[in-house]
Amino acid sequence: MTMQDTATSTWTGKTVPRKEDDRLLKAQGEFGDDTPIAHLGHVVFVRSPYAHARILDIDVSAAESLPGYLGCLLPDEVDVLTDGFMELQPAPADAEVDKCLAAGGKVRFVGEPVVAVAGTSRQAARDVAATVVVDYEPLPHVVDARRAVEPEAPQVHDEIGSNVAWDGVYDWGDIDAALKSADHVIEVDELHFHRFSSTPLECSVVTVSYDAGIDTFNLIGGCAMPQITTLMMAAAMRHPAEKIRIVSKDFGGSFGVKIGMYVPATAVALLSRKLGRPMRWTETRTEHHWMGGHGNERWFHNVKMAVTSEGRVLGLSYDALDDVGAYTRYEPLGAVIWTQVANACYQLQHLKVHYRSIYTNKGPVHPNRGYSRLQHMWLVERMMDIAAHRLGFDPVQFRLQNYVQPEQYPYETVNGCVYDSGNLPLSLEKALDLIEYDDARRLQRESAGTGKRIGIGIGSTLDSGTNNFGQARLINQFLPFSGNTEGGLVRMGVDGSVYTVTGGVAFGQGHETTVAQVVADMLGLTPDEIITHRGSDSALSAQTGFSGSYASQFAVTGIGAILNATRKLVREIQLVAASILGATPEEIVLEGGHALVLGDPERALPFAAVAGIVHFSPADLPAEVADEVGLVGRAVYRAPFEIPDLERKRGNLTLTYASQIHACVLEIDEETGEVKILRYGMVDDCGTPINPMIIQGQVHGATVHGISAALFEHFAYDDDGQLLAANFYDYHAATALDLPSLRYDSVVSPSPFTPIGAKGMGEGGGAPLHAIAAAIQDAVGGDGGVVLESFNPPERILGLLNGGTESTVRVLR
Amino acid sequence: MILPPLRYLRPGSVGDAVHWLTHIDGAIVLAGGQTLVNALKLDLVAPTALVDIHRLDELRSIAVSPDRTLTIGAATTYAALAASTDVRLTAPSVASMAAGLVDRQVRNRGTIGGNVCLNDPTNNFPPLLVALGARFTVLGPEGTRTIDADDFFVGTMTTALGNGELLVSIEIPPLPRGARLVHRHLQVGADSWAMARAVVRIDDDNGVVVASRVVVGAVLGSPQRLRLVERALVGLPTGGDLDGAAAEAFDRESIETVGDVHCSADYRRQMSKVQLRRALRDLAKGTPS
Repeated sequence: MTMQDTATSTWTGKTVPRKEDDRLLKAQGEFGDDTPIAHLGHVVFVRSPYAHARILDIDVSAAESLPGYLGCLLPDEVDVLTDGFMELQPAPADAEVDKCLAAGGKVRFVGEPVVAVAGTSRQAARDVAATVVVDYEPLPHVVDARRAVEPEAPQVHDEIGSNVAWDGVYDWGDIDAALKSADHVIEVDELHFHRFSSTPLECSVVTVSYDAGIDTFNLIGGCAMPQITTLMMAAAMRHPAEKIRIVSKDFGGSFGVKIGMYVPATAVALLSRKLGRPMRWTETRTEHHWMGGHGNERWFHNVKMAVTSEGRVLGLSYDALDDVGAYTRYEPLGAVIWTQVANACYQLQHLKVHYRSIYTNKGPVHPNRGYSRLQHMWLVERMMDIAAHRLGFDPVQFRLQNYVQPEQYPYETVNGCVYDSGNLPLSLEKALDLIEYDDARRLQRESAGTGKRIGIGIGSTLDSGTNNFGQARLINQFLPFSGNTEGGLVRMGVDGSVYTVTGGVAFGQGHETTVAQVVADMLGLTPDEIITHRGSDSALSAQTGFSGSYASQFAVTGIGAILNATRKLVREIQLVAASILGATPEEIVLEGGHALVLGDPERALPFAAVAGIVHFSPADLPAEVADEVGLVGRAVYRAPFEIPDLERKRGNLTLTYASQIHACVLEIDEETGEVKILRYGMVDDCGTPINPMIIQGQVHGATVHGISAALFEHFAYDDDGQLLAANFYDYHAATALDLPSLRYDSVVSPSPFTPIGAKGMGEGGGAPLHAIAAAIQDAVGGDGGVVLESFNPPERILGLLNGGTESTVRVLR
Repeated sequence: MILPPLRYLRPGSVGDAVHWLTHIDGAIVLAGGQTLVNALKLDLVAPTALVDIHRLDELRSIAVSPDRTLTIGAATTYAALAASTDVRLTAPSVASMAAGLVDRQVRNRGTIGGNVCLNDPTNNFPPLLVALGARFTVLGPEGTRTIDADDFFVGTMTTALGNGELLVSIEIPPLPRGARLVHRHLQVGADSWAMARAVVRIDDDNGVVVASRVVVGAVLGSPQRLRLVERALVGLPTGGDLDGAAAEAFDRESIETVGDVHCSADYRRQMSKVQLRRALRDLAKGTPS
């Protein structure tokens, strides 16, 4: 169904205040740690202080005499009670064994859980944990992916035989020929994309009550992918999936990083069953920094780009080492996810990438806002910029010329992905207007000799949304995944009120509001009249296997499912009203809370009457109607995908491509390397908007995250494998004081492939990382060094001003 | 437990506080808790008792004497300093520093006494108070004594406070006519960790520098007076090349810095020099302190 099929579009597309905000602003939200549970026990993990060590002995005897001690869970028990979590990678790295407590007798990163202890209070559990003695024998460790691939490197997983979790070559077009024949070839030895996270306001919290009478685990807590989580836990615990229920209420952010929550949740579940009482684990910020999910760190080596003398970019090649940390978890999906945006924003014809996912003794990575695509797009955008600077092309014209052009959509990429719609040149034009480009160039000229340098940078990115899970087969042909679905449920209660449930799990994106807007339009009600379920509940039959909030998809999948479900409910209302009012179902329209006969508004039935008849007086209805109607619409949205061509690694991997073109003007202090952002413009195109205010809010969030990542946030490790930024003293997430006023504009290019023309959005493509790197480069100018890192604190920028990276960047022709 | 078992004591007077600090082994002072609560949470300190002085009115007064000496109670919050007309008029640098410190929540809790007694090398106030020539009034089991700023700050995270002693107040003498002071800082982001701090004070008599105090923070042993730089400045015309003289002398100073996740030791040292230069330029431009 498209919006054109619905009666009106009174609410969809309008800025409507968020339904959620009333309770959140009044502190009536219910986050993970808020739910009151009787007889609750609290779990604390004893964690590894070593990057890599053998566990010689665990002594919990001192705990037993402590007040409030309830019990504990040890790795040996976990070994017996569970199988290793499902691994996505093929042989030989599928030999990795990952359990909820350190597996195989050793720890592999600082902060890895070794023992789970339970106490009557969180404080008691902490006291108990402090008395547990773990005897370790430190082992040689590896924290740098470049060293991890050397033959003599310490092995993170002994059973695999190397630190390579995945190794594959993508080769589309003919880059070798292009590099041979191109007028210009730029070569860069090494670039580096750093580790950071999304810093959700709420750390992970999970409460598990094991109900022995029905052998069921009830989980409460923010869970971004409930059915995948269920599957992971069910398989590991050898427990039926339908006897694991996952409820999420208010949820203080995920951004992908909480997809790994099944690991601690399994330990909490085992303890709940073992000790016969509900258990809660509330993650501390330091724990979150250790293993709450880091974004992928990536090294790019031997990067080569081919460019014609007219400034047309033909393609590029590089070798990637993706540092996934100690366990693969959701990896090595990152090894294929980036190919959703293989072309980035450009008309590349040739691309060759040798990609390896590498284990190191660091915290495991998880999907993180812009997952795996932003690293590749940063590289491409950086190379575009380096090429423009080195070959003497204007960076604006160079991008404009190479962008996918508006008339080329739907545009097929080198690997068979289909960019659905967009207008990148118009977006760039608007972004440059936002920063008053010509005036900024004037400022830049005038800054010469003042001790400040001004730079202007552009970040061009895509946010690919609605995955084709068939792409998982490109990293492991045996994975039984393909396509994508989401579920939704709309029902009419006994008094005619309308209740909706989606399979998506909102963690702040305003789903309750956007769902209410589209359902209100279809039922002829107002959003205030639509009751939207808070959070999610796997027992409410609104979910499919892929349900959840990740990969920028709700506006397509979640809304698509709710539209389909509402259509079913509309049909049932029409059947009931038609039989009572003596009309055909096709003649019934819904307006103002009534079902009425088209053209004869006197013949009308209030929704309360429709519901009353169905629920309490079915004898009023013809049998065939009463038998069919339950006033529940439950439906699935299926994204139209095929299984990719595994041989050629080709296929359409995502349905929609929202675009973000950012432009910034920044000032660098020549003596300190400090950066001050003077102007920041962001232009977003995510197709038909459902609620422009919500879109703008998410664009702001993604932008702030990107600026913070580019300048402040870094999960640095020292040579001993200790995380140097384990709390907010050392991990500076930007605050309002660090940020400029953000300037926003939008372009609307409806997607031809989605139910209402909307595209998934919210992750953004990390555009600030690209724009800031480009602006720093622009400020540093031709005499200084080349920006080869995604993270640029003042000291590094000062180094760039002093030159020093020349030899690693070469113009071969 | 976030806190290991310990005693929490709220004295009714500074005398009681000193009594407990003297007689309870391992007792420490809790003022605003800005740093101490975090240190407790991270198991960096293990006191047996917390003596919470933050509600003692005796420690929260701000007074100006007829000779314009400013006396600040040790438990005065940054917010109170920033809001005080007396402070703004007599020691504007103290007011402006307090007003810009971290965020409102911290300013409402954190105290100037806590800031100086902790003497973390990255703290804001120690270098400023040294430059201002502040005096610290301390009450201990033996009675009251007054310590000059130069002697109060002993080394990294260390002060001259002895066993059982409590900082009661900080006296800031009026700057002599013609004296000017500027402080400059390089921090992570707008309000986070310091990478470098410099405070410069010049006492100007008829266009000549007659005395100076040059203090850097965020170095080992902060706050550190740069005596060679100070000496190099004295006698110069205030409109002269203070910059050049300071830079030359700076290179002869022994300054030790350490690296951390935010920057290297080298960068810190280099930035101390930059901040010093900037402070001197501000002075030359007549930027108000």
